Amino acid sequence: MANIEKQRAIIDFTLSSLMRRKGKNAALLVVYTLVVTALASVMFFTKSIKTEAAAVLADAPELVVQRLVAGRHEMIPLSYVEKISSIRGIRAVRGRLWGYYYDPVFGSNYTLLVPRELTFGDGEAAVGSGVARSGLAEVGNIMPFRTYQGELFTLTVAQVLPSSTELVSADLVLLSSGDFRALFGVPENMATDLVAEVANPSEIPTITAKIVKLLPDTRPIARDEILRTYEAIFSWRSGILLAILSGALLAFFIFAWDKATGLSAEERREIGILKAIGWDVADVLMMKLWEGAALSLTAFVTGVLLAYLHVFAGGASLIVPVLKGWSVLYPSFRLTPSIDFMQLGILFFLTVIPYTVATIVPSWRAAIAAPDSVMRG
Amino acid sequence: MIILNGVSKIFNQGQQNQFVSLQDISITIPPRQVTVLKGPSGSGKTTLLSIIGGMSRPTSGRVTMNGREVTSLPERFLSALRRETFGFIFQQFNLINGISILENIMLPAYPNGERHTLLKARALELLAMFGLEARAATRVELLSGGEVQRVAIARALINNPEVIIADEPTAHLDSKLSVELMAIMERLKADGKTIIMASHDPLVYDAGVVDNIVEIRDGRISCSNRPQ
Ligand SMILES: Nc1ncnc2c1ncn2[C@@H]1O[C@H](COP(=O)(O)OP(=O)(O)O)[C@@H](O)[C@H]1O
Ligand SMILES: [Mg+2]
Repeated sequence: MANIEKQRAIIDFTLSSLMRRKGKNAALLVVYTLVVTALASVMFFTKSIKTEAAAVLADAPELVVQRLVAGRHEMIPLSYVEKISSIRGIRAVRGRLWGYYYDPVFGSNYTLLVPRELTFGDGEAAVGSGVARSGLAEVGNIMPFRTYQGELFTLTVAQVLPSSTELVSADLVLLSSGDFRALFGVPENMATDLVAEVANPSEIPTITAKIVKLLPDTRPIARDEILRTYEAIFSWRSGILLAILSGALLAFFIFAWDKATGLSAEERREIGILKAIGWDVADVLMMKLWEGAALSLTAFVTGVLLAYLHVFAGGASLIVPVLKGWSVLYPSFRLTPSIDFMQLGILFFLTVIPYTVATIVPSWRAAIAAPDSVMRG
Repeated sequence: MIILNGVSKIFNQGQQNQFVSLQDISITIPPRQVTVLKGPSGSGKTTLLSIIGGMSRPTSGRVTMNGREVTSLPERFLSALRRETFGFIFQQFNLINGISILENIMLPAYPNGERHTLLKARALELLAMFGLEARAATRVELLSGGEVQRVAIARALINNPEVIIADEPTAHLDSKLSVELMAIMERLKADGKTIIMASHDPLVYDAGVVDNIVEIRDGRISCSNRPQ
């Protein structure tokens, strides 16, 4: 109880102390906050984009087989299914139907996909949250399309898809294969691509080689390969950015160190007075600890909050130009918040702790001196 | 009762600039009386006050306070001694700028862990005693000389100390304020405080309230007597 009152009193004094040195502390707070914002932005962004990519790829089949004509992706004949199935190590092969549809009225792009198991009938559709949000579709609404021949074609919204991640399902429209073929004029014996299940993933390189040999106009794509590419791109880019920001962090610490360690004559005198009127070294250090903690925690929390808003509400607009690679891979979308608390913890330990220690040491030195110099002014 | 026994203080001992500031001081300071350390500038008054008040340790000799040896106490106990037993009025007053009078007065009590409301009430009471209650929220640097002095005294009293230590308390005051100060000392003595002052101001050592005068010259006691 007494200790709580004591801490409270010391904190009271700490806060009024901080207010007294407004200029110095405000400058420090601003720089500190900006550094934390920048670092946390990169962390949030990289983590989310990796989570998004992983979510996309988790549902992706192990092996996709596309047909190439003149180096471009073309519809693939379903007769290939049987040929590929005959390869040893392939467990199952099926054709997929998917594509993009541009709606000129609303200026939006949809990804149309025929799901493996249809939970609704012909003439109906399930739509992603992004499509639903645009106000075009809620359950029971009718969505107008134009077929490849320009005729009106309508689907009734049967369901809105729950979104685990924006990227996966935002612009998604699920429909039956009959409707898909009618809309795009895809013949019964063709599919967009084929997906293969492989008994043993370590055989994938052998299997892809066999597929290319058997069907020279195809291109097999392994999931692991895509994953690695994504990982490499994001890790590499965020690595560069973090390296640049570490420079900023270092500059900040030189600045902060200078501000924090150079006890002004005024501060030294105050510590002497406090000692002289009966404060113990521990009390003085406690005060300085609260001071350092108040400042660095404020900066840390503000910085992290700003970074959160920047990345998840502001579309990471300030760092996107640097991490531009991904915007080529993906159309613009809002990132689903995904936070790596381990990383945040590291950021905490790299900012709050060193700062607090940096402020404590010189105060400790001033506090262990005998206070009799105060008597002489 | 404070007893000093053979107290010496040597600065920079063993070095080129070694300086003997106090030599073999043995005095007894009786409780509930006013004792003045009198002597010219540089004679060692401040050094002696800081040893009595537990702010520095003598190079040799012992100080006992109500029968307890304090010279060899660990630093933590010296802090507590300064806080609980002594109230200091410094020559430069040494108030902390930028914070209110009220907060300045409460500062010596913070490490005690007393309930904030009680402490605040006590501080306001002290301010009222010195006619400063209307100025409680004022920052220290906006005060007049007389107000600064009274705030410094109020701060010395917040922990209800047994002993008041004042170093050259009139050095920065005009005669009127000096007389006022001695009147306050008289009141404190009447309240049962032990008062130790260092001064070479006749307004202080010739005042009727003074019980004992200890004369110091070059770090030695030249004369210790009761006035009149
Ligand atoms: N920290 C110190 N180092 C060296 N000499 C000191 C120190 N403090 C005081 N002195 C010397 O001790 C002597 C007594 O000083 P002080 O006690 O302040 O005298 P007074 O208060 O009587 O003017 C002075 O000559 C002063 O220069
Ligand atoms: Mg002096």
